[in-house]
Amino acid sequence: MLSTLAHRALERDGLGDIRDKVMAGGRLDEAEALRLFEARDLAAVGALANHVREARHGDLTFYNRNVHLNPTNVCVASCKFCSFARPDDKHASEGYTMSLDQAVEHVLSKRPLGITEVHIVSGLHPDLPWDYYLETVRRLRQAWPELHIKAYTAVELHFFAQKFGKTHEQVLRELVAAGLTTIPGGGAEIFAPRVRRKVCDDKATADEWLAVHRAAHELGVRSNATMLYGHIETLAERVDHMARLRALQDDTGGFQVFIPLAFHPEHNMIGKAFPGPTGYDGLRTYAVARLFLDNFDHVKAYWVSLGERLAQASLSFGVDDVDGTVLEERIYHMAGARTPQALSEAQLHRLIRAAGRVPAERDSLYHVLRVHAQAAPARTAARLPVSA
Amino acid sequence: MPALRTAAVSFLNARPLTVGLEGSSRIQLVLAEPSACAAMLERGEVELALLPVAALAGHDYEVVPGLAIGADGPVQTVVLAGENPPAEWDEVFLDTASRTSQVLSRVVLEEMGLSPRFTPLPAAEGLERARGSKGALVIGDRAFWLVEGAARRPFPHVKHVTDLGRAWNQLTRLPMVFALWAARPGVLAPEDVAELARAAQHGLGVRTEIAQAFAREAGGDPEHYRRYLTQRIRYGLGPYELAGLEAFLTRAAAAGLLPPARLRFADDVVRSHRVRRRVSLDAALQKGADGERLDRDEAEVLDEKAPLLELGLAADLRRRALHPEGVVTYIVSRNVNYTNVCTTACHFCAFYRPRGHAEAYVLSREELAQKIDETVRLGGIELLLQGGLHPDLGIEWYEDLFRWVKAGWPTINLHALSPEEIWHVARTSQIPLQETIARLVRAGLDSIPGGGAEVLDDEVRRRIAPLKCSSDEWLTVMRAAHEQGLKSTATLMFGVGEESRHRVSHLTRLRELQDETRGFTAFICWTFQPEHTRLEPGDNSAHAWLRVNALSRLVLDNVPNLQASWVTMGGGVAQASLHMGCNDFGSVMIEENVVSAAGTTFQMDSEEVERHIRDAGFTPARRNMKYQLVRA
Repeated sequence: MLSTLAHRALERDGLGDIRDKVMAGGRLDEAEALRLFEARDLAAVGALANHVREARHGDLTFYNRNVHLNPTNVCVASCKFCSFARPDDKHASEGYTMSLDQAVEHVLSKRPLGITEVHIVSGLHPDLPWDYYLETVRRLRQAWPELHIKAYTAVELHFFAQKFGKTHEQVLRELVAAGLTTIPGGGAEIFAPRVRRKVCDDKATADEWLAVHRAAHELGVRSNATMLYGHIETLAERVDHMARLRALQDDTGGFQVFIPLAFHPEHNMIGKAFPGPTGYDGLRTYAVARLFLDNFDHVKAYWVSLGERLAQASLSFGVDDVDGTVLEERIYHMAGARTPQALSEAQLHRLIRAAGRVPAERDSLYHVLRVHAQAAPARTAARLPVSA
Repeated sequence: MPALRTAAVSFLNARPLTVGLEGSSRIQLVLAEPSACAAMLERGEVELALLPVAALAGHDYEVVPGLAIGADGPVQTVVLAGENPPAEWDEVFLDTASRTSQVLSRVVLEEMGLSPRFTPLPAAEGLERARGSKGALVIGDRAFWLVEGAARRPFPHVKHVTDLGRAWNQLTRLPMVFALWAARPGVLAPEDVAELARAAQHGLGVRTEIAQAFAREAGGDPEHYRRYLTQRIRYGLGPYELAGLEAFLTRAAAAGLLPPARLRFADDVVRSHRVRRRVSLDAALQKGADGERLDRDEAEVLDEKAPLLELGLAADLRRRALHPEGVVTYIVSRNVNYTNVCTTACHFCAFYRPRGHAEAYVLSREELAQKIDETVRLGGIELLLQGGLHPDLGIEWYEDLFRWVKAGWPTINLHALSPEEIWHVARTSQIPLQETIARLVRAGLDSIPGGGAEVLDDEVRRRIAPLKCSSDEWLTVMRAAHEQGLKSTATLMFGVGEESRHRVSHLTRLRELQDETRGFTAFICWTFQPEHTRLEPGDNSAHAWLRVNALSRLVLDNVPNLQASWVTMGGGVAQASLHMGCNDFGSVMIEENVVSAAGTTFQMDSEEVERHIRDAGFTPARRNMKYQLVRA
């Protein structure tokens, strides 16, 4: 139920029609999404988004226990927002490429930590053979049968198809046979051609990105979707991006979650001219996404990019997922993220609970593994023990 | 309920902790020598004792948090004495009165490469025989009579006195803790802990009177005793004192002088509950949103039950009513912490250092000048000058400093000295509060920062900062300052495990004073930052911070401005607060030591501050401390 205060505020802001539509379960058009972006009333728009979030999930807030694997940062693409990629793996340029053994060991060494998912994303390496990618998945699957392997963004999958002379479907079928379970949502950036031409004109286009996801969904492989916001794009271009995702989702229903990602300005080309989005911009983006993407189950705030405090605040603005423990994150930290390298499960619980929500551990397919309805017993040592 | 049988020493330095217990219905005092206090506690003849720290080893006593008797340099009353210096001794007579001092003597002498024979002997006899190659350990008030110039000198042959407080400090750069309140396990109620803290607060406030009474009993100069009690002895048990205590116990255990010790603290959270009338959440929200005055019951219900965005929407209505123009202000100022030396040893503070610590400082004029010049160059119009409670700095020091600042930089606004510091200056200099403020104003003080309020509820305050001025005293200073025409801000530091009734009582007390004086220009709240401090945080999350801001906007209906403290929360969360009650973005601070000592800080220059304000949908404007707009 939307409160009286929220009703009044939305009417005052001239958003009464949008409220009525949302409350009646109707679908917002692009112009309406833009009006929400431009309303500059975070509390009112947030309250409406929160209403939708609570109607879908109540207080449940999802996370998983995951490890990141970035087998190489060598990349032939030259995305201007990227701080991670290097042109080659010579030492001076800080480029690196893990051997197959190293890549597999990197993940297997985390096994004692109760991980349920590996998230694999790489640069577009000019020389690695197809087998390297297949074998990474296959070996992980053999060594750790119950691990979810969320691997290779649509941009990488499209690169594989071109480089190794395969169709998207062939690439996907071979990877699925090797053990891949889901596809991460990276590489979407902003779909608008104007933006892509300027910031990432030498990798998969919007259509190619969407085609890979469509192919995956048709094979029964579920995937995620991202949007890199806060660089040169306009608000209309953000809405257009979400509209394209929503249209594909209408066709396939294969997307699980929408993940807006904040552009980080350090050590990349765009950062020289653009400072990166403010937290306010992030919060309103989550809220609008929750309201506009009526066919997406989940909206995720990636705490690594946002910071723990803002990620916690986002839980009142439409977000229901905070990603996971994220061991070994590299990409955002190379772009200046000051967040910790990982959060423990207990830290995630505290963050979620302090926002008045209930932590729910999920797997990569958003099956709930465990709802942590009760807080763990308070720490008994209330004070720093001093021992001699 | 029977009173707790409690043993304490009669030494002068213990009186500030014990004088306030006379007539207490909870605590029944028995006076004894230090070693007797330990023995009585061990035998169960008393439940609580002012215990020499060595007696902690091998027992599972519960220590009362926050209070101790210690020193961070010379202590004067724990000394090695003899006709000749210790290097010439082959035998030391150990006063039997305190095992702690015995162990300390051995540790210090061993560090000096000396290993004389130790022989137990009562102090008077030991001192008489401390001639030639013999020395003696002396503790307690009789040590006052050993130094040159003492009122009487019963042992005139004593020429060499080694202060063990000073020696320990030189050895470790840490304070020495000699004694603390400890109880047999399970007997102390949180109310007892509060009673001891209350007594300490009272006793520390009457140290001058204690010194005068002691001079009448024992002879000697009351001013000497006053300085001993205010400048030599430390009564706090904060992170540094604990580190000193830990170092002492560790060294003693390593040398085989004491069994290993483990500190356990008594529970100090008082759980009393006021009966609250039934209040409807919706009605309270609506009342707040309409700008009607909320009573404590309504405010508590909002604090406990209202969802963030509901509080936020209501607070946003109040912000729109008070500041309809959509301007968000900020100031360019510099936060200079003139000293980090402090005697209150608050549990939540990671900034303070004891006087003898290697990192202790008082800023020199050269350093200050450089900082002020830089501030002016960066467009700063205000100096926020705050520091620790340095036991050696009297009012003249502050007057000189303020005059010097105003002479050199006449346009700089001097926003200086929180109520705690003003209280301290008045007390150290022994002049009335009104006069202290008047003199500081004449010297150049323009306005007062509202720091050190923490939580203005003594249940919480005594627990987290037992030696800080009380809530009443904090408000008294503010009232006095407002009456003399000074404006100030008010603050709240929450997330220290307090409950909603404490936060609400903080807000309503500020509101009452504001009804009287109209002297508060703004309210600022921030969360406790636990890194490097020993206090366990309560809910100090961003979510809680947004809620408390919104609640404050609703309760503080007579305070015009609410600052968003982005330094601890980050720009994004602070932006959100602009839509939930705040109308000011605080200051572009050129430095801020206290918060950064305890962990996270965010940094923004004025361009970045303005971008955040604009991006959140508001018009940025620079202001001065009186919230008048100024040109950039």
